[in-house]
Amino acid sequence: MELKDVKGSTYIIESQEEEIKRIALELHEGISQNLYSLYTGLEFLRTGVEQDHLKDYTKEMSDLVSRTLQEVRLLSVELYPSTLKTLGLYAALKSYIKLFTSTFGIIINISTVGNEMELTEQKSMAIFRSCQEALINIAKYADTSEATVHFTWEEKRLKIDISDHGVGFDLQEIIRLNKCKGIAAMKQRMSIAGGELCLFSGEGEGTTVSFILTIQK
Amino acid sequence: MEYKEEQVQELEQQFLLVCDQLRQQLSCDFTGVALQKIQGVDITWPFVSGNRNQKYKYITVRYGKGIAGRVIASGSPMEIVQFPDNIIGKSTEYPIMLAEKMITAYAMPLLWQGSPKGALLIGYRSKHRLEENDYVNLKELGKKVEKLLPLYFAEN
Repeated sequence: MELKDVKGSTYIIESQEEEIKRIALELHEGISQNLYSLYTGLEFLRTGVEQDHLKDYTKEMSDLVSRTLQEVRLLSVELYPSTLKTLGLYAALKSYIKLFTSTFGIIINISTVGNEMELTEQKSMAIFRSCQEALINIAKYADTSEATVHFTWEEKRLKIDISDHGVGFDLQEIIRLNKCKGIAAMKQRMSIAGGELCLFSGEGEGTTVSFILTIQK
Repeated sequence: MEYKEEQVQELEQQFLLVCDQLRQQLSCDFTGVALQKIQGVDITWPFVSGNRNQKYKYITVRYGKGIAGRVIASGSPMEIVQFPDNIIGKSTEYPIMLAEKMITAYAMPLLWQGSPKGALLIGYRSKHRLEENDYVNLKELGKKVEKLLPLYFAEN
């Protein structure tokens, strides 16, 4: 029964990720390209229009298309960070952290020790999504202005520690109140990728979430 | 150069004065002015009063997102009665509410050259019921802020 549950949730998570990736690529390569063609077309029309009111109207439309294009691009990156495949986990997370700070105003200090190794897309994505979840939890609950993300690359292991000095929480109480769905999701993702999650927290003591992943060369 | 810096500081003081006034008159915990950048669509919180931390300085909201983004995009006021219950979208789309631990908030658009270019927000860290008089006061002080906008956009 337990094996069936794990297989089921693995399938759900994997197919969700596939679908998210498909939508993100469709937004980036389909809709974005069309919007860009519309934008350049409108800009071209603007240069040929002589009446001032029509020129202004074309400018308004072109601005709107440009804004929509920016929105679609951001949405696509939010859904699926393509840098994960091209530049690797550390660069992708660093880029996400930049966005995170400008969204929530929380400063994240990111550092790394050791040589980055190539991970499979499935493992990279699992760890990336888990880090995202941990950071979002900081924004929602930790009540802190700063946190740290530290990568340790060893020969056959990657460890990522995400720590904050925020309000912390009583894990037992959170479990009792059934408010640990985010933690359970991180644990599940890590388990699918063949890794594990360790969590340390206490009221007034901050929180540290560690993701540990064995790397097979 | 020095003269310009003085002008900028004076303008900042005027914005902050209105924020403080608003906080006193409406007995709220937080007031803030969100403004759209003159170039581009991003929105920041350049002037606040009653803040618990410095997060507002780094927050950039996208047009149409969060309380300020939605107010600017729609040109209509927005009220959150008990955050995060019954909000549109996810709680993470309201970074200023999370950063300042606000429960009740009300924001109205600030017009510049006839278009919404900013938002004036009042917030409470516990559930609060706004009275008719509060909306009137907010509208009046909102007009004061709007009068400062031509100077702000000229400087920026």
